[in-house]
Amino acid sequence: MKRYLKIIATLSMLMIVGISTNSCGDDYLEDVSTYNIDSENYFNSEDDYYNALVAAYDLLQASYVNVILGEIASDNTLCGGESANDVVGWQQIDDMIHTPVNSNLRDVWNWMYAGVNRANYILEFQDKIDFEGKNIILGEAHFLRAYYNFELVKWFGPIPLKETRFQLGDETTIPRSPIEDVYALIESDLMYAVDNLSYTAPQTGRATKGSAQALLGKAYLYQNKFSQAANVLENLINNGPYDLVQDYNTIFEFAGENGIESVFEVQYTDVEGAGFGCLQCSEGNVAVGFSGVRGYSGPLFTPGFSFNVPVQEVVDEFEPGDLRKDVAILDIVAWSEETGAQYLTGYEHTGYFNRKYLPRVRSAEAAGDLNLTNPNNYRAIRFADVLLMAAEAYNRGGIDDNKAKLYLNRVRTRAFGNTSNNVTSTGSALTDAIYHERRVELVGEGHRFFDLVRTGRGTEIDGFTANKNELFPIPIEEIQFSAGNWTQNPGY
Amino acid sequence: MSCNALGQNMTISGNVKDNGTNQPLPGVNIIIKNTSKGTTTDFDGNYSLNDVPVNSVLVFSYVGFVNQEITVKNGSPINVVLLEDSQALDEVVLIGYGTQKKKDVTGAVSLVSSETIQDLKPVDAALALQGTSSGVTVNSSSGSPGASFNILIRGISSNGNNAPLFIVDGYEGSFNSINPNDIESISVLKDAQASIYGIKGANGVVLIQTKSGKKNSKPKFSYDVYTGIQETTRKLPYLDATEYAILINESYANNGQALPYPNISELGTGTDWQDEVFDTAPMTNHNVSLSGGSENMTYYFGAGRLEQDGIIARDKSNFERNNIKITLAVDVSKKIKFTTNANYFSNSRKGFSENTLGSVLFNALNYSPLFDINEEDVNGLLGNEVINPVSQIRNTFNAYTGSGLEGNFQLEYKVFEGFTATSRVGYKTYKDNNKSFSPIVNYGVGKVFNNARSRVDQSKTAFNTYTWETFLNYNKTFAEMHHVTATIGTSAQRNWGDGLYATGFDVPNNSWEFADISLANGLSDAKSNSSYVFDNRLTSYFGRLQYDFMGKYFISGIVRRDAASDFSPDNRVDYFKSATAGWKVSDEEFLEDSDVINLLKFRGSYGTIGNNVGADLYRALLSGEATYVFDGQLVSGVATGVFPNPKAQWETAEKLDIGLDLGLFNDKLELTADYFREDRNDLLITGLPVSGILGTSAPGSGNPTVNAGTTRSKGFEFLISYKDDLSDNFSFGIAYNFTNVKGEVLSINGDAIPQGGAFSVGQQAPSRMEVGQPIGYFYGLQTDGIFQNQAEVDAHPSQAALGAPAAPGDFRFKDINNDGVINFDDRTNLGNPQAEYLMGLNLNFKYRNFDFLTYMYAEIGKEMIRNYERSQPNVNRSTIYLDRWTGEGTSNTVPRVTTGATTNKLFSDFYVEDASFLRIQNIQLGYSLSTQTLDKIGMSKVRLYVTVNNPFTLTKYMGYDPAATSGAAIGGGIDYGFYPISRQYLLGLNLSL
Repeated sequence: MKRYLKIIATLSMLMIVGISTNSCGDDYLEDVSTYNIDSENYFNSEDDYYNALVAAYDLLQASYVNVILGEIASDNTLCGGESANDVVGWQQIDDMIHTPVNSNLRDVWNWMYAGVNRANYILEFQDKIDFEGKNIILGEAHFLRAYYNFELVKWFGPIPLKETRFQLGDETTIPRSPIEDVYALIESDLMYAVDNLSYTAPQTGRATKGSAQALLGKAYLYQNKFSQAANVLENLINNGPYDLVQDYNTIFEFAGENGIESVFEVQYTDVEGAGFGCLQCSEGNVAVGFSGVRGYSGPLFTPGFSFNVPVQEVVDEFEPGDLRKDVAILDIVAWSEETGAQYLTGYEHTGYFNRKYLPRVRSAEAAGDLNLTNPNNYRAIRFADVLLMAAEAYNRGGIDDNKAKLYLNRVRTRAFGNTSNNVTSTGSALTDAIYHERRVELVGEGHRFFDLVRTGRGTEIDGFTANKNELFPIPIEEIQFSAGNWTQNPGY
Repeated sequence: MSCNALGQNMTISGNVKDNGTNQPLPGVNIIIKNTSKGTTTDFDGNYSLNDVPVNSVLVFSYVGFVNQEITVKNGSPINVVLLEDSQALDEVVLIGYGTQKKKDVTGAVSLVSSETIQDLKPVDAALALQGTSSGVTVNSSSGSPGASFNILIRGISSNGNNAPLFIVDGYEGSFNSINPNDIESISVLKDAQASIYGIKGANGVVLIQTKSGKKNSKPKFSYDVYTGIQETTRKLPYLDATEYAILINESYANNGQALPYPNISELGTGTDWQDEVFDTAPMTNHNVSLSGGSENMTYYFGAGRLEQDGIIARDKSNFERNNIKITLAVDVSKKIKFTTNANYFSNSRKGFSENTLGSVLFNALNYSPLFDINEEDVNGLLGNEVINPVSQIRNTFNAYTGSGLEGNFQLEYKVFEGFTATSRVGYKTYKDNNKSFSPIVNYGVGKVFNNARSRVDQSKTAFNTYTWETFLNYNKTFAEMHHVTATIGTSAQRNWGDGLYATGFDVPNNSWEFADISLANGLSDAKSNSSYVFDNRLTSYFGRLQYDFMGKYFISGIVRRDAASDFSPDNRVDYFKSATAGWKVSDEEFLEDSDVINLLKFRGSYGTIGNNVGADLYRALLSGEATYVFDGQLVSGVATGVFPNPKAQWETAEKLDIGLDLGLFNDKLELTADYFREDRNDLLITGLPVSGILGTSAPGSGNPTVNAGTTRSKGFEFLISYKDDLSDNFSFGIAYNFTNVKGEVLSINGDAIPQGGAFSVGQQAPSRMEVGQPIGYFYGLQTDGIFQNQAEVDAHPSQAALGAPAAPGDFRFKDINNDGVINFDDRTNLGNPQAEYLMGLNLNFKYRNFDFLTYMYAEIGKEMIRNYERSQPNVNRSTIYLDRWTGEGTSNTVPRVTTGATTNKLFSDFYVEDASFLRIQNIQLGYSLSTQTLDKIGMSKVRLYVTVNNPFTLTKYMGYDPAATSGAAIGGGIDYGFYPISRQYLLGLNLSL
């Protein structure tokens, strides 16, 4: 009997110890207090919205790949690099032999969707709390979603759309929306931004009413909606605070960043380090290092990986007397003779480099890997671009060739330093003049491929297959994830 | 006379010693046979017994020793040496919350005793398992001092964490903080028996018991020391300056470029960068211990210090470790026993960049032999990563120090005979400091290691854990036939810690002496500090019932319920169950009297165990990166981190083991053999690729971790040993173990193919996890000789899709999918970094006062990727390139050299080598003073020995160390120039009082 009492006593002791050990069983597990705020109970203050907005801007920096590929894919440049195997995905795009298996195209898809989701995160929780100035943050979030979706529609055509964050499984249920629907969302997002933003941003680098108007005009132009494009761009030209910079050369130097010509500019810095493991994490402009002269030592510039090398044809596109040529194109042989600069030759060496976005000499504080952290801002929408887009809308829409010439010649006057090279033609000759002007004014800035495609001139690119290469293929992985929900773009 | 003699009683005195240790044995029972009269030996083993009749028989008995009977003839002292009883001293293994006689074990357990650790004297106890335990693989990613070891039990089952659970005296610990000298035994639970550890046991459980004193024993003092020098086990044959220049010239000429070195006659041999970085280095280890016990208590005290310098850059690569260990056990009363032990551990370490692109050895291999020892590659001739390794070492500054305390408190209450309640708290706390200084350096144009701004990075981290367990053990035999052992208990565990990282810029004088944030006053526009905290908890209930009938038929069952805070509240509980059975045939009547077979046992186990991976996967934390630039300043926002998976849970292993234990000729010959199979279900595929529309490639985000895969590994293993005393002067032992293990991925949801590792720069990942293949197998192009002429090139499908059309002298790649085009779809299985066969052999002899032993270890059937050759035109190469293709018929294995575009540098079987190896781990010769001499000088042991560790490694592998691996399940076995293991020549001394 005594023995059983002992057993009972011990068991009760064990239970007491056990219960106290476990603090009422599994409640012990609930006491964990680290990182209680997670994605679903965030957005509790104005700061929370602002901080989420910073996150949505962050992916703009990853659009460096869109920019450099916009050139490489076009007839402006060759891929270059170290060898034929160096960044194979870019080499294939240069040769127009790219397939759905292309990790670099996948980067475009992934990174732009990452931007879409970060904007959607804010918009999904837009009604959680109210505070003064919320409409500005929401306006910018709408702008950013439009910016990312515009990139996606340019590259891939029909894309899946959603106005809140995408969830696992959406890839098998949400179809690719027709291009018109994508543009409809882009337009409505930008109209919201135009209505809620002002021409001056609370901080340099944030989107303004002007940024939204310019992007809206661009989106219209891509759809050949010329009168809407002309309207919104005209409004921007007349009411916005923008103007051309006198000296074209100063635009692309550090001192020229966020100048009066800058309608929207992607901001970069080299105060934070970066590595190849996460290129989209770099706060620097990765495209710049990749465009640099291989093994360069000499004045003004610093070395890079010799990608994106301009071809003779684009150099020859500049008219005599065009002051922009020596700003846009570095003739390394001439430069080397002039300054004694040393360099190595890479693959597909043409002797030319994209001087606007070459790595410049850096501050001593610059964080490495210096190839990946170049701080050159990307002038995403310049006022010169706005003028040329307006000119194109007026001309191609048959609205007003005089207006078109006025805006075109504003750009040319700056380019030549005089009015004697002004264009006087009209009609389709004027259209060609505008196309030519876009090419030389904006060379090296990532617009060329899409300008060719949207104006039906894709076949000017070597290897371009009509009715196929206007769009890039959806990454093979995405087709697989969609489990039959999405079909590949034609021809791939 | 006879009457006198018969009637004469006398006083007998004497001394009793242990034959094994030559130590006095206190507490030995001495009785006069067939009487109740007797005495016990005192602390010094002395006894005295009055009134002993002549011709009576004295019986000397002591637990664990063979009884000895001596007839009393006269009154002279009777000194006795007792022999250890090998039967009685049955080896005991730990099975978690209890022990079991090895002979009764029904699971698969490996046991490593303190003798093996004594023999091997490993700097880390993990090495004591290498080659000594079947089914256990021990590898390191580095031979650098203080490098950690990866332990695998029965191969790789998980794509994520394959590390076993380490339980030290009941708390969760690790090998690296324990002084090997303080370890009494290591038991490795390899099968479903480990399900008593539930959600944490799936990768196997390593149970470590540390030393304690013996009751009623004199203080035993030991001092062990060894010291010696180390050198590299290998240098790789590389081109000298002249050979290099010829090769470079040829590669330029082949691309129609001018010769960079038109005059090679004066170049000579140049700089041998391996000679410049490798050095000999000392190592020393001291250990002292004191142990003993009285009637009511035992004690053990141990202290150790290890100093080891690296064989590369001694002053920049070294390790020191100090341990102090105390164990006390007190019988508070007849019913209550209190035990506590504490291990203080401190270590400091310095190191340099290893096993990555641009690490020191990578550079020593690739740097040009034409450069002078102090010469930088100022023009960037060798690409962006390859820099002068000597300068690199000179500019490396870091210091790591850490210290911790671990141990337990245990209270045991014996409720009544056979029924014990135990409650114990085990704890470990560890804190470390790390500092590294990056001076302003310039290695030449475009080098990624150039640093224009000096910085000092400092961090502090802390890790804490406790485990509080309370359990009851009940042990009873009913009707002398039914033996029952029952265990039930509960456990609560918490692991928590934090870390703080900060950086200072502009270190004064660009000097290590000033490298501290307090002095580095430069500011950064970017955030230069960070931190983390974690807190993981586990509550558990467990029970085990063991039953045997007459010690012949065994069954047992285990259930454990775990709830883990790592998972979503709706999805955090699981039950793990297992059952074992055994049949000891040798105790059946028909074998009971066998002279040959003294043990024959069949056993089996089956059950489920968990692998607790993936904390906090069920929700998205705000850990993403959100940095952008406003007003020219970096601003940091908030973004979500890794994409959540609300359904995320642990992995579950389903393990089957069928085994056999055999003992022949009075256990001289022993055999243990096992067949095993494990299905690992619900594998957490980290970063399971998902559609990009989810935004998982955003900075600081990541793909979700999803329970989406199953693997199976199976194989067999055996351990066979034979030991014998051929004469009084000669004894020997030999043990051989063998393991065959093969893994295969059975399924992955959605046909995903997780990839890992890297080859060269910018190439596709070489390692992958794919259904039907082992985890982490190598995937690349397969060569089929070399094109000898243009006709052969033309006859083969075009290789242009790989990036460059083929030319004579280039690899001919196989058209694996037979589609008439050679492209990346023609990649195939090129090998597996996990060995198919593991073997260990150890031998020992004792002849008179000499002892000799050797341990060997082999891994057969594994491959490694030679990834230390930078694919830049001007880097140095291995001498295999002396046999390169230079024209038709010159080579069918090594391609031509050219600076032009070529597919020869793509990942192919040319870069995958057979890395099977046999390593002699240890050869040792010792001399011990004889018992007579010891008695004279009053010591119980004096042994002097010489040992050579890692004297030979037989392998075809060309790199530094075929045994090394990063330990990654996907991406292991990729060699950027592993820090080779050192060969050590040591002289040692063991002293005991």
